[in-house]
Amino acid sequence: MTPARQRERGCRPLWLLAAVWLLAAVPVDGLAAELDEVLARGELVWAADQEGGGPHVYVDPEHPTRLIGFEVELAEMLAAELGVKARFQQGQWDRLPLLLGRAADCVINGFESTPERARDWHCSRPYFAYSLQLVARRDSSLDSLDALAKEGPRGPWRVGVLTGSAAEIEMRRRTDLQVEVVGFDGTVDCLEQVRGRVLDAVLMDDCIASFNADRFGELRGVGRPFAGGTYTILTAPETPRLSAAIDDALGRLITDGRLKALYDRWDLAGRQQMLLLRDAAEVPPARRGSLADLIRGALPLLLRSAGMTILLSVASFPLAILIGLSVAVGRLHGPAWLRPFLAGYVELLRGTPLMLQLYALFFLLPKVGLALPAIVAAILGLAMNYSAYESEIYRAGLKAVPAGQFEAALALGMTKWQSLRHVLVPQAVRIVMPPVTSDFIALFKDTSVCSAITVIELTKRYSVLALSTGRIAELAIVTALLYLAMSWPLSLLSRWFERRLERRSERDPG
Amino acid sequence: MIEVDSLAAIRSGNRILDAVTLTVAEGTVTTLVGPSGGGKSTLLRCLNGLETFAEGRVTIAGHKLVAGEHLPRALERVRRDVGMVFQGFNLFPHLSAIDNVTLAPRIVRGVPAPEARRRGLGLLERVGLSRFAEARPATLSGGQQQRVAIARSLAMEPRVMLFDEPTSALDPQMSAEVLDVIVELARGGQTMVVVTHDHGFARRAATQVVELVAGRVHRAGPAAEILGGAGH
Repeated sequence: MTPARQRERGCRPLWLLAAVWLLAAVPVDGLAAELDEVLARGELVWAADQEGGGPHVYVDPEHPTRLIGFEVELAEMLAAELGVKARFQQGQWDRLPLLLGRAADCVINGFESTPERARDWHCSRPYFAYSLQLVARRDSSLDSLDALAKEGPRGPWRVGVLTGSAAEIEMRRRTDLQVEVVGFDGTVDCLEQVRGRVLDAVLMDDCIASFNADRFGELRGVGRPFAGGTYTILTAPETPRLSAAIDDALGRLITDGRLKALYDRWDLAGRQQMLLLRDAAEVPPARRGSLADLIRGALPLLLRSAGMTILLSVASFPLAILIGLSVAVGRLHGPAWLRPFLAGYVELLRGTPLMLQLYALFFLLPKVGLALPAIVAAILGLAMNYSAYESEIYRAGLKAVPAGQFEAALALGMTKWQSLRHVLVPQAVRIVMPPVTSDFIALFKDTSVCSAITVIELTKRYSVLALSTGRIAELAIVTALLYLAMSWPLSLLSRWFERRLERRSERDPG
Repeated sequence: MIEVDSLAAIRSGNRILDAVTLTVAEGTVTTLVGPSGGGKSTLLRCLNGLETFAEGRVTIAGHKLVAGEHLPRALERVRRDVGMVFQGFNLFPHLSAIDNVTLAPRIVRGVPAPEARRRGLGLLERVGLSRFAEARPATLSGGQQQRVAIARSLAMEPRVMLFDEPTSALDPQMSAEVLDVIVELARGGQTMVVVTHDHGFARRAATQVVELVAGRVHRAGPAAEILGGAGH
């Protein structure tokens, strides 16, 4: 209490000013920080995803603790116009707007102006003009945009896009093209995948393409940039005065040439850029559609992604059991030299995050010449990760079979492996049925991690749809119902399997 | 049929069997008696290689076992000719009675399933349990389970049968059921070695009684001589 009073006394004029502002406009919900709060705190918190890469916001390769990029400088200039300091807030790109009003005052990260965004957030006047550029390998037969209309040598062209970006919207809109659109969380990931021949091409903002041109010498732009648009700064609708202040500050930066000077320094100030900036008028307002329309539109997409969730679970889990059981048997009864390796396998897979394992399978294997399709990498990754847990369960199950069972089998002249196969393992399988079943449901939900390697399953589809439509709560309910509708029959299925196993062993010991 | 020569077994530094020598002739019944901890069960388990021994030699049903670790192959050959019945039955709980009996003949000897089943039903008949062929072990009484275990062991047509306190876990009524089956087998000329505390059984069926005390053969001879004439 006392130190706060002292500080208040120390800066009385500013405090009085803030009090007047507070009286003028009491915040409606008290969540979002209005202009006065920003000024009082002396910081403008702006959100971006540093993983998105240059030239927007990226880690300085010379000083890895420092962030640089034209948007970093823009944020600092805007903050200076408001008389405060800029503070960076990290977030995952497609979820950045959700930070508004909670952890951030504004989002400055290459968000394209779209009617949907204008409906749900306050969008500033444009600060940057972009076009979309297709990028492919130099040795690719893809030589123009028009070539996408015909299938490539390996079927439809596989084109990577940043999930939720204008490039994705553009690609999904173009039903005339023979393309399979693959969503990524980062544009550099896309370029890596083109280089590794997993993708045929990537569609991205031209400034990102030219920024990365040197690093990806094997790649080249295909055709001319097209279908441009502008970037806008997003603020929460509950902070109209903050939004207006940022918009005014941006206007001053444009008119007095400081923005152009910034873009000159970053080699981004083409004539087209400046004309688009000047001409880009107000964003047309959009209406909020009815709930029925929303569900009609979203449900087919959600259902298709739910199918992917099921495919991932039922393909990976039997594999996990098979590997897990083999590892467990090997650790208990295998040759002594093998046991440390199997223990290492289990510790490695249990001790590292599933996400990291998926990244390794999908992004690192292509570097050694083994490019797995995303869905194969996802199934393999889930199977390996869960096999570690299954092997521990089966190991416990095998140990729980009384020692007399093994002795009885051996005394009848069975070999070790015959005893395992006909006596020990069938009993262990029965003992561990309950934990294995609950692991299956855990894996079923863990499939959502696969979105990290571009597999679009239910959760990812939800987050993309929720973000592009702004109907976060409604779609969350639909998605949760879909998950329940799937996990309920899945647990019925496991119970049926459990019973079938009981009956089978009564009839046939083999 | 069985020759045990100067057998010694050491567990955690203690000689729990020492200089044990005995002979079992074909078609005879030998009972191992003596106080608990005298080494009866260990001796029995050395005969089919469930336990190893430090010194001496065992010859059983034409197979030789020597001191130290046994080779898995050699053990499998011995065990095909030597059956064992345990105190705790050790039936396979996930299999029905008939499947318990037919499993080893099918997978070890390669007997075709219908043939194994026909013989298995005959064996269950012999131990008085043909009505329970499809029953799970958990639904059977202790005496019934032990009789299934005997049938399971007989299914391999062993030349020697080893019984490790086969009635110690049973009440007198059930013991009697099991002992009748064993006595019946003995009359049929089955060579067997039985570890037991039941002197009544020893008097009734044993050709030879061997008393083990502190790991050594204390006395050996005909039942009447070792156990005396009257029952306890």
